Amino acid sequence: MNRLIEFIKRIYIVLLFLVIEVVAIWCYATATPYTESKLLSRTTAVGGAISGTVNYVKNFVSLPDQNEALTARVAALEEELERRDAIIDSLTPDTEHIPFLDSVDVKFRYHPARVTSMTTNRQHNYIVLDRGTRHGIGMNMGVITPNKEFVGTVVSCSENYAVVMPLLNTRFKIGGRVVENDYVCSIFWEGDSQYEVTAVELSKYANPQAGMTVNVESDRMPRDIKVGTIKSHKLNNTKSAYSVVLNIAADMQSLSNLLVVENMHQGELDALIETINN
Amino acid sequence: MFKNLSYLWLSLAIMALQIFLIDELSIAMWLRPMIFPLVVILLQMEWRPIWVLLTSALVGLTMDLALGGSGLYTATIVPLAVIRRGVMYFTTKRSIEHGDQTSLLSRLSSRQLLAYTSMMMFIHHAMFFIMETLSFAHPMQLFATIVCSTLLSMLVAWPILRIFTLKIVSK
Repeated sequence: MNRLIEFIKRIYIVLLFLVIEVVAIWCYATATPYTESKLLSRTTAVGGAISGTVNYVKNFVSLPDQNEALTARVAALEEELERRDAIIDSLTPDTEHIPFLDSVDVKFRYHPARVTSMTTNRQHNYIVLDRGTRHGIGMNMGVITPNKEFVGTVVSCSENYAVVMPLLNTRFKIGGRVVENDYVCSIFWEGDSQYEVTAVELSKYANPQAGMTVNVESDRMPRDIKVGTIKSHKLNNTKSAYSVVLNIAADMQSLSNLLVVENMHQGELDALIETINN
Repeated sequence: MFKNLSYLWLSLAIMALQIFLIDELSIAMWLRPMIFPLVVILLQMEWRPIWVLLTSALVGLTMDLALGGSGLYTATIVPLAVIRRGVMYFTTKRSIEHGDQTSLLSRLSSRQLLAYTSMMMFIHHAMFFIMETLSFAHPMQLFATIVCSTLLSMLVAWPILRIFTLKIVSK
């Protein structure tokens, strides 16, 4: 104990300096959205680079490489499935030739990515992926597990890394649709349980039941991406809509290999929406 | 000899000058002189590090509150308190030695004082502008801002250094 006190006495100036610096930089970082995003991207890039190095060493003695290969295979199969569905949809009684798989234009493409670092114990959690603009990743792309469970949305991209805002972030919001009856709702995280999210504005005619599945309702992702299942529900104060608690489908504590979903028609869709807004 | 009360008045004058005059001047985006680091730079070298550290934090906090820096001024001035003895040795090859009877600053020649002050001002300006922009997208512009602002700061600081030499440290 005495040695510890002696040691602290010897380095208390450095400790005090670090405390003052950390507090000052934290104040500065949280002062404006610009400094917050800039420092976040810098720290995630540094953190990402460090975690990437550590993971690289780990890969020699574990299975991530095989998982990555499997994720890439899932991505390829998902795209192939998209093409097959597109062919089936285009078939009519008059069709004479079935088009080749490679010649069909797919709506969604899947980019495999690996989690470099992530947090789950804060109000504003983020996930860093080891894929960036160089690999075709872009802003607002959806991120899912290989089992088609929703994880989050890409919010920032550098050349080699992407930052994902997951469901477990109180700033995150996304539309949902109850699979059994097609009623839509708005999904967000209240910041309490790491296993549950809340869906609000669900029509009072939706008749939600425990166990019903809720999928993502977004033009950036296919319709069969699962957010979770209904755990409990209650009418809101005005009795006009339901507020529902969902068990999150994806295991947010142990994410490793993910798929980033790219809507190939997003540019066209955005341009179309912009013409309406203008 | 180091006259502490005179130094206190000079420090207050420097900070007032920065807040009410220099910071109000809009010369150019890339030309922003800052003289308040002089308060920490010219603090007596023989002071205990804890007091230097707390004084620099106080100066930074005052600047943050007065100029709306949100922690930027504190974050960039506090490191000066830690590195100043190293910079002093690097620029003048002088350090505090056991048995010294007079203040180290009073034993510096004008050229040594200028070299030490310039180096400290450059380090401070570099830290300040890098943290302010948080981007290296335009490195030449950033470098020009640091160099030009440091030069202008030193130009403004020169009369203060003269007062410091004549009135506060006597040889």
